[in-house]
Parts: sequence; structure tokens; C-alpha cells
Amino acid sequence: MQVTLDHVTHTYQPGSPFQATAIQDVSLTIQSGEFLALIGHTGSGKSTLAQHINGLLKPTDGKVLIDGRDIHEKGFDKKEIRRRVGLVFQYPEHQLFEESVAKDIAFGPKNLGLPQAEIDERVKEALENVGLSYEEFAEKSPFELSGGQMRRVAMAGVLAMRPEILVLDEPAAGLDPQSREEMLSLIAGLHQKGTTIVMVSHAMDDVARFATRAVVMEKGTIAMDGKPEEIFRHAARLQEMGLDVPSICRLGLALREAGIDFPEDIFREADAEKALIQLWKGAEKC
Amino acid sequence: MLKNITLGQYYPVDSLVHRLDPRIKIILLIALIVAIFLAGNLLAFVPVMLFIGFASMLSSVPFKLLLKGLRPLRFILIFTFVLNLFFLQGEEILLDLGFMSIKKEALISAVRFSLRLVLLVMGSSLLTLTTPPIVLTDGLERLLSPLRVIHFPAHEMAMMMSIALRFIPTLLEEADKIMKAQTARGADFESGNLIQRARAMVPLLVPLFVSAFRRAGDLAMAMEARCYHGGEGRTRLRVLKCKAADFYSLFALAALIAAVVLCGKVY
Repeated sequence: MQVTLDHVTHTYQPGSPFQATAIQDVSLTIQSGEFLALIGHTGSGKSTLAQHINGLLKPTDGKVLIDGRDIHEKGFDKKEIRRRVGLVFQYPEHQLFEESVAKDIAFGPKNLGLPQAEIDERVKEALENVGLSYEEFAEKSPFELSGGQMRRVAMAGVLAMRPEILVLDEPAAGLDPQSREEMLSLIAGLHQKGTTIVMVSHAMDDVARFATRAVVMEKGTIAMDGKPEEIFRHAARLQEMGLDVPSICRLGLALREAGIDFPEDIFREADAEKALIQLWKGAEKC
Repeated sequence: MLKNITLGQYYPVDSLVHRLDPRIKIILLIALIVAIFLAGNLLAFVPVMLFIGFASMLSSVPFKLLLKGLRPLRFILIFTFVLNLFFLQGEEILLDLGFMSIKKEALISAVRFSLRLVLLVMGSSLLTLTTPPIVLTDGLERLLSPLRVIHFPAHEMAMMMSIALRFIPTLLEEADKIMKAQTARGADFESGNLIQRARAMVPLLVPLFVSAFRRAGDLAMAMEARCYHGGEGRTRLRVLKCKAADFYSLFALAALIAAVVLCGKVY
């Protein structure tokens, strides 16, 4: 499944004194199987862009196409988009409302009109998927869980719809290091199983680790689009936009400034380790 | 989705009316309401209309926005007009429809009552359009503070009001977000009959209440942590001072009342 944004512009509250254009003439095609990281400064239009992917926002100008069909044309079933594109908002735990975890997760599948047996099966699967045991959590109230658990339940609520594309808005924001790591490996696992991932993120180390493609937004337009290794080569440009670079990039920059010949295209920890060992050995020989 | 709701919306431009002291503006509005009710005949509405027209011109708020405030009232307006028109008794028959007739007195009174409503709403919209809510409560607190003598909690009232007002946009934004999140999970807020629609609100209202309580708790804690203990001895960020324009507007007000009374007498 392929989602294309075709020259999309979105203006909030047009015609009022609060008018603000969040994204301007953005064209982007999300290929099946990608892990796309959406990077940008606060207010660069990432979240607005994310909400266009499943038709929550209607572009002021331009089109959003799913497999070549305009999703805002008459007769296009909105439920179909919701089923195929899952959207996990920032702090999704704030949207929990049911009396039990199982019921909350069942909300999405129920809205799709699935039979009860299938709903139960999906709830079970989704809970296991986010690493919570069904027996222990299904009947608990979502409001008595810890923050990290609540977020996983909220995520399960979206996963239960079995989306082909999963859009996540800063899924790891505000989590402690361990929950963070668990959340990220959960997302990486979903990607490996074939789900297309679009992840809005500030954390460049995560982008470097997981993404197969990175899109950098600045002031409502796409500033850069490419493989992470290509993007991070422009470290200076990123920093100019007020963005971070992976810590390995910063290390590389510092090393090169100090006159040590550290390769430019390294931004993952494992690769850096190898390169450093090589440098070390090279230095010993002299 | 919910962003379209206008709720006593402030229109952020700089103008003479915007800069007026909020206390004066509140007094002006109260006096304007009195003047509208004093107006005994149609002629007496002319100075009121002139006053509102002049004020809206000075405020650089588009006239369209003022009229927009009347929209929610359109049914009441039509209702008042029609009711007065057909059911009031009088002598002089203007139009005879056979089964009922329109009298001259009825027409006049229908126009009067509708005009009264329109002017009341426009006057108060003008106040809320040109004054940020927080400044408004500030003004209200100062106006009510003499009542402290009889133990009226003016400061506490104003504080509650400003907190409530301050959270309206926050909660609207929150509601918008939750609504979107549930829509993304296939929720449908727009179709179905009344009962289905009411049920569809549960996934929106529960998280909204939870978050409102959480915010209230956080805010109370933050206020206590900064030693808030009520109004006693508190200084303020915005010290209200009456300037020349404020006094001029009071003159205009006096002229308005005089004109209204005079028109009522003359006619």
C-alpha cells in the first residue's frame, strides 16, 4: 500500500486573524515497508503532515492518494482509511476511556464492525504484541496502570485494528529509559513483521538506529529527504535548523576538528565502534 | 474540528476601544444596557445605534464579526418578532389576512423588541471582542472590590473566573485532540440518531474529564507551591489606570443617556 501526498498545503482557520499555514506544497510518497522518520523543529508541520496521512485533516490545497485514489473524493470510505492507516498521537494514554483494558482496546475493532470472536482474538494479540499479559491486564481499569503501561495499552488499541501503515507521533516522549527502549523495539518489531512505519521524532539516535528513510521538515516544507546516512552528512545544516544530530555524528565532528580522520558517513554506534578500533590500531602502528 | 467554535472571542488588534480601561468598558456596557431598556420609542434607539456603530468603527473589529454573534440568536429573534407581530392588540390595522391581522402597534413593538435584542447582543459582543477575558475579569474584580466590606469574595470570584476562562481554549484543544484520536480508531461523532450520538460522546468526555481533573490538581499544586493564599496584599502585573480616552468615553456615555431620554420625551 502506498500513500502519496500531492502538493498538499494546510492552513488552519483560513480567513481569521489566527490564520496559520502549517504545511506548504508538500509532496511525499510513502512506500510499503518503509520506516520513515519525520524530523523537524517544533512547529515545522510534522504533526499536521502526519494527520493528513489517514485523512483526519483535509488539505486546504492538494491531494492525498492511497494506492492512487484520492481519499477525499466522494464515495471513498473513511473507515477503510482508518483501518489501513493507524495513527498513534503524542501521549496516547490520554485517550483511554473504557472501564477495562480489554474493552478499551476493543473500541477500534468494534468500530470496524468485526464479529465478537475476532475482536476478542485481536485484543489478545494486540496486548501480547505490546508486551502485556492478557490474563493479568485485560480486566484491569486503564486508569490504575503506570504511565508506561497506559501508553502500551493505548498503542494496543491502534494495533488491534491491524493497520498496514502505522503513524506514530513521538511515541517515546516522556518515557523513562527502559520503557523507551521497550517502546522502540516494539516499533522495530512491527516494522520487521511488515508494517510500514512513519515515526515523528526528535531523537536523532533513534532515527539513526531504526529509520530506512528520513524526511526533514522546516517551516512547513520538506527540507531534506533521503536515507539517514545521507541526511546526517549535512550535520551543519541540521544544526542550523535547530535540530540535533546523532551523538555519534557529534563525536565524529569533534574528532575531525581535532585532526583525527574519522569517516563522515558513520552514525550508528556499532559502526563507530569498528571505526574507532581501526583508528586505534592504525595509531598503534605508527 | 472544534477550532471553529467562537466563544466570546477576542479579536486581537490594537485600537482605541481595545486600549480603554476594562472597568470603564464594563460600566459602558451596563449603562448601554440601561439605555436600551430606557428607550421608550423607536426614535430613542437611534442614539444607541449611533453609539454602537461609532464604537465598532473605532474598534476596527470587522462589522461582519459583530453580526456573526447574532447567528445563534436568529431563532429567538424570529420568534420574538413573529409573536409580537401577530398576537399584540392595537387599533390601526395595517394588513388584513382574514384569519388574523397585523396592527400598527404590533409592528412597532415587534421591531422594538427585536432591535432591543440585537443591540444588547452587539453591545456585549463588542466588549468581549475588544477585551481579552483575563483583562475583563481583572476589571470586574476591581469594580467589585468595594463589596469586600460586606465580605463579598471579589478576588476569589475573579480568580475562579480567570482560571475557568484560561482553560477554555486548553480544554477545547484537548477535546479536539481526543476527538481526532478516537476518530483515528474509527469512532464516528457525526452520524446516527440522538441516542447513538450521545453514546459516541463517551469516548470523548471521559478522557476530557480525567484530563480536566488532572490539570486542576496540577494547577492547585503549582499555586500552593508559589505561596498563593488569596487576594490579601497581592500586587498586580497590570495596574489599571484611567487615561484621557476613558474620561472622554464617559462623556459620550452621558450624552447617549441624555439623548435616549430626550428622544423618549420628545416623540
